[in-house]
Amino acid sequence: MHAVLGRSFRGAILGVGLASVLILPALAAQNVNPIPDFSGVWWRNAMDPELPPSGPKPLVNLMRHDNDPHPNGGGDPLPLVGDYNNPNLKPKAAEAVKKAGELSASGRINPDPSNQCAPFSPPYIFTIQLGVQMLQEKDEIVMLYPQDDQVRRVRLNAGHPKKVTPSAMGDSVGHYEGDTLVIDTVGVKLGPVTMVDRYGTPQSEALHLTERYRLIDAADAKEAMERHQRRAGPAGAAPFDPNYGGLQLQYTVEDPNVFTMPWSAQITYRRTMLPWAEQVCAENIVEYWPGMNIGVPKAGKPDF
Amino acid sequence: MFNVRLTWPVAPLVAAAQFLLVTASARDAEVPDLSGLWGRQSLDWEPPATGPGPVVNTKLRANGMRDSDTRVGDYNNPMLTPFAAAEVKRHGDISLKGETFPNPANQCQPQASPFLLTQLEMELLQQKDEVVLLYMIDHQVRHVRLNQKHPAHVVPSWSGDSVGHYEGDTLVVDTIGVKVGPFSMVDQYGTPYTGALHVVERYRLIDGQSARDAEQRNEKLSGSAMGRFADFENNGKGLQIQFTVEDSGSFKSPWSAVVTYLHGREWLEFICAESPYDYVTGKNPQIPTANKPDF
Repeated sequence: MHAVLGRSFRGAILGVGLASVLILPALAAQNVNPIPDFSGVWWRNAMDPELPPSGPKPLVNLMRHDNDPHPNGGGDPLPLVGDYNNPNLKPKAAEAVKKAGELSASGRINPDPSNQCAPFSPPYIFTIQLGVQMLQEKDEIVMLYPQDDQVRRVRLNAGHPKKVTPSAMGDSVGHYEGDTLVIDTVGVKLGPVTMVDRYGTPQSEALHLTERYRLIDAADAKEAMERHQRRAGPAGAAPFDPNYGGLQLQYTVEDPNVFTMPWSAQITYRRTMLPWAEQVCAENIVEYWPGMNIGVPKAGKPDF
Repeated sequence: MFNVRLTWPVAPLVAAAQFLLVTASARDAEVPDLSGLWGRQSLDWEPPATGPGPVVNTKLRANGMRDSDTRVGDYNNPMLTPFAAAEVKRHGDISLKGETFPNPANQCQPQASPFLLTQLEMELLQQKDEVVLLYMIDHQVRHVRLNQKHPAHVVPSWSGDSVGHYEGDTLVVDTIGVKVGPFSMVDQYGTPYTGALHVVERYRLIDGQSARDAEQRNEKLSGSAMGRFADFENNGKGLQIQFTVEDSGSFKSPWSAVVTYLHGREWLEFICAESPYDYVTGKNPQIPTANKPDF
């Protein structure tokens, strides 16, 4: 009996070892560089960025107070008046924000990338897009935003070229740090309506943007979203999938021509149960409320 | 040496290991890897191997090549319904006057299949439940839901409803429900479509030499766009799409065409809102005029 058990036991050890030799490399190969899974369509029911826990903040709307029920976006029943007294703004930038705010408060809808169907350059893109879908490929991440199908490409584990040719979305490179995706963007070209936020805060081509994305649990995501909606107002009521947590973006903006120091902001998303919504800017340039045409083309003189 | 008999618990462990390895490799083999950046040089499509092909440009240059600066589709093509033939002629007449007629690309409008298949650069991204197709001109995006059916009632949209599945080495994409808008057309010649449009696209890899030969044949016939989008130095495989279009409102029979890509060189950021120029003809289409105040 003892001899039989001994042979079986040795056989079992060898078998486990043999199986481990076969199984473990396969599993190990999958887990050598685990990356967080950001797949799915992420959504939020608010515009504008959330305030950072500390440090210099993004501009907020002077016309909006906590718990204001007016929706944010979709016509903007409240004028968009950025806080031009934010001490982080350099004088010329503060002047531009004040002027944009005065025009908005007078009832005019200022042209912006969203209503002009212009590129939604970063970081503006975060303030207005309600959703994002990240397609994680081996050497790049493609980020899709629903309003007017804006697309950003992030090259993974690559550096910026020595000479960056400015482009609408800038040059973005990224890498993973454990559970976090870090994206670095420079070289955002200035177009006629390029702006950092919905208040017309200008940016220069020296803008440097760092984004950090990570998954957070559903309770934290819900709390962050509710806190933000109380301050910034609701924008839609998309249902969220209770089976998933949240995706949180923390971003930092440096632009020495506009801001006296870098500032940070946050965006929290949850997984939506709605299908991807087709939103085509070219179909309609009318700002939904109060129904004014923006930037109507005029032909004062012949073009040729 | 050990003389090990494969009894409990060895046998199940080894079997499990073999199962994991086999299923992993079987899963990898199921889905062809069509992902990547793909480029081509000519806006025109290649003819199908058999059967009716697409509307082609009847305007030729002195050297016999199709004149990509003057788009005059063959409105006498017998497969066109009278409605479609009239539209093709109307657009061709505009071109013959030396003007550029508006099309989705130069009007910064959404583009749908098959018009999208005229684009010179495309990126194909394969996900678990969908394939996402990105197109160079004006950041057009298509979502193809995998292994699903069209809804019983399709609400027309600019992209239409696209569903796809793999058949061996081929991705098959089926699209219906494409909305009709002011500049809607299936091709570069203004050939119209109706709400009955149904497009089936079949994507598969082909050997690099065949792809380069197809590219060069098409360039000889139709000319090459400004800029280099196809990487002729890449010896890898090409991507070929064979697509079929049915639309009883515009065509008396289905027709097919072929699009061949090589690996793309570099993604070109092309923001339509920055310029209304039609790059091929270099003329401004539909310049806005203000004959009366808007408000």
